[in-house]
Amino acid sequence: MNTIVENLQQFWYFTGFANATWQNIAMILIGILFITIAIKKGWEPLLLIPIGFGMIIGNIPMFPGLNIGVYEDGSVLNTLYQGVKQGWYPPLIFLGIGAMTDFSALISQPRLLLIGAAAQTGIFGAYLLALLLGFDPNQAGAIGIIGGADGPTAIFLSSKLAPDLMGAIAVSAYSYMALVPVIQRPIMLALTTKKERLMRMPAPRQVSQREKIVFPIVGFLLTAFIVPSGLPLLGMLFFGNLLKESGVTRRLAETARGPLIDVVTTLIGLTVGASTQADKFLTGKSLKIFLLGLLSFVIATTVGVLFVKFWNLFLKGDRKINPLIGNAGVSAVPDSARVSEIVGREFDPDNHLLMHAMGPNVAGVIGSAVAAGILLGFLG
Amino acid sequence: MRHSRIFILSILLLSAAVQLRSQNMSDLLIGEVLVDNTCGILDGSGQRNGWIELFNTSNGTVKFGGCYLSDDKADLKKYHIPTSDRSAQLGPRQSIVFYTSGDSSQGTFYTNFKIRKGSTLYLVSNDGKTIIDELEIPANLPADNSVVRVPTGVKAMDFVTRISDRPTPGSYNGDVDAKTKSEVMKEKDPHGWVLTLIAVMVVFTALMILSFIFGWIGNYNKKPSAKGIKASKPRKVKKLKAGEVSPEIAAAISMALSQEFGGEVYAAIALALDDYLGGGIHDQESFILTIKPTPGSTWADKAQNFRQLPR
Repeated sequence: MNTIVENLQQFWYFTGFANATWQNIAMILIGILFITIAIKKGWEPLLLIPIGFGMIIGNIPMFPGLNIGVYEDGSVLNTLYQGVKQGWYPPLIFLGIGAMTDFSALISQPRLLLIGAAAQTGIFGAYLLALLLGFDPNQAGAIGIIGGADGPTAIFLSSKLAPDLMGAIAVSAYSYMALVPVIQRPIMLALTTKKERLMRMPAPRQVSQREKIVFPIVGFLLTAFIVPSGLPLLGMLFFGNLLKESGVTRRLAETARGPLIDVVTTLIGLTVGASTQADKFLTGKSLKIFLLGLLSFVIATTVGVLFVKFWNLFLKGDRKINPLIGNAGVSAVPDSARVSEIVGREFDPDNHLLMHAMGPNVAGVIGSAVAAGILLGFLG
Repeated sequence: MRHSRIFILSILLLSAAVQLRSQNMSDLLIGEVLVDNTCGILDGSGQRNGWIELFNTSNGTVKFGGCYLSDDKADLKKYHIPTSDRSAQLGPRQSIVFYTSGDSSQGTFYTNFKIRKGSTLYLVSNDGKTIIDELEIPANLPADNSVVRVPTGVKAMDFVTRISDRPTPGSYNGDVDAKTKSEVMKEKDPHGWVLTLIAVMVVFTALMILSFIFGWIGNYNKKPSAKGIKASKPRKVKKLKAGEVSPEIAAAISMALSQEFGGEVYAAIALALDDYLGGGIHDQESFILTIKPTPGSTWADKAQNFRQLPR
């Protein structure tokens, strides 16, 4: 009888119930909240569901030493996590993004690239604020990249600069990307007049196939020569785009933007979620990171809109730009461009801004990869 | 003729491989040298000898088996590092110590010559001629002081030579005073304004140059007559008789009827209606939905109508 009791006792010590802490439960509830938001609201379900479920996986209380946790060398989760830790998932996602992005909107109006550049100030605004809050420069750089509104870039940079903060940074970046419509709309309305919102822009010109093929080659050469440290992201982004536009590698492009990106997105979401173990995630630093992440989105949107308004002072006639596309420099593709379209149509149902907003939107992707390269060069 | 081509190609590939190997060895550096060792590290046989430290400056592994060490320019092949020793390799940014005991029978990492003050030390490639690196040893080098190459901190591959009274055999020479880039930035730019200013300028410059280039390419393309660039002419669409169905419409209807497609159903219907109502076909036009059968593509293949997902 004693043996049975002893064995049952031993079994009990191995269960999650015996090892649970309130922090584990809190993280599991946050994971469930992510899943609920993704399903009910439809906000970034492809990311929030893997991250949410990963959070649950990573926070199942367990007896130490079973070699199954994400931070235990050689475990299955740890092996999958290497793609995040070593930074090779994000470039693969960039390959897929390149293969699915149509840069026509940008090529037809290349001046809109500058809006994408302006919106990157969100990154550096958050960097300055993070330093002010006492973070080290490498940590501040990793936190600042949340303002790039680009999950893979945030994971890539934080895995290099501040691996211990990566979970909080990734979750913060993806959360605010899901909340782009909520964050950006009030700022856009506050900073623009009704007259500005009704401004119409001429239809973009037709872009030739040759231009589309030249773009990834020239774009890559230029940006990689200026910021070689951004090579993994920029190289994959432009390579993916060349696969798409060359017209002769259709199968490769379809794999990159289809099965490959799906597999990597699933793994990156799940392992990033699993890396948010309560003892590493529920800290004062995480709260500060969430606050700074929000501020970086606010700064990026504000500067994007104000930059267009300022630029308009020097433009005439139909060259003027509707400031409602200023928010799209925040590279949460295509959500921020969609916000431009929705807000624009609220005031004029026939004013379609989506095609114009896609220009700064994809410029933001390039801009955030360049900014990540700069931060890595200085602080890595 | 064909054989001679293969022969030439093989020779070229072989020489390229040798070249690559040499390039790899060129990442080696004589990192540190100590001549008079009175209170420093002991070698494997408990003796205090002078030592030479080799350092791999690259981020890849470098094999140095087959290289030579010498202190005599007239005899660059003085000590041959055995190629058969598997440990004769250096990982990224790693260093290794050779004891200058004068007796190479002690092992791979013991040279057959004793190092002297006032001489020059040579690291020579496996061809026995190419000097990879050389280091002058001052005649007045104090005992237990080393001649050391320390990274400048500006570029990973830049080093300065100096005398150190704190030798660091076998470890990265910058380690004693090394600071991470982040720590350096914390000291030099505590509030972050310098980095911010530089970064914003670089991002703007990069995207502005890209903007100019594509603005120029766009203007160039707007002038179709210039330099022989012709605007793509719309393809002539064959007039269909009543009841006749074009291949595009047939494909569209086929896709629309398939239960496997999601949004493509609507796309197909849109194309069919557009074509039916005289919208024409768009081959390479931005912002306009395009569906067309391509030679070599299987999208319109009959197999595509089969069930795609196991259900």
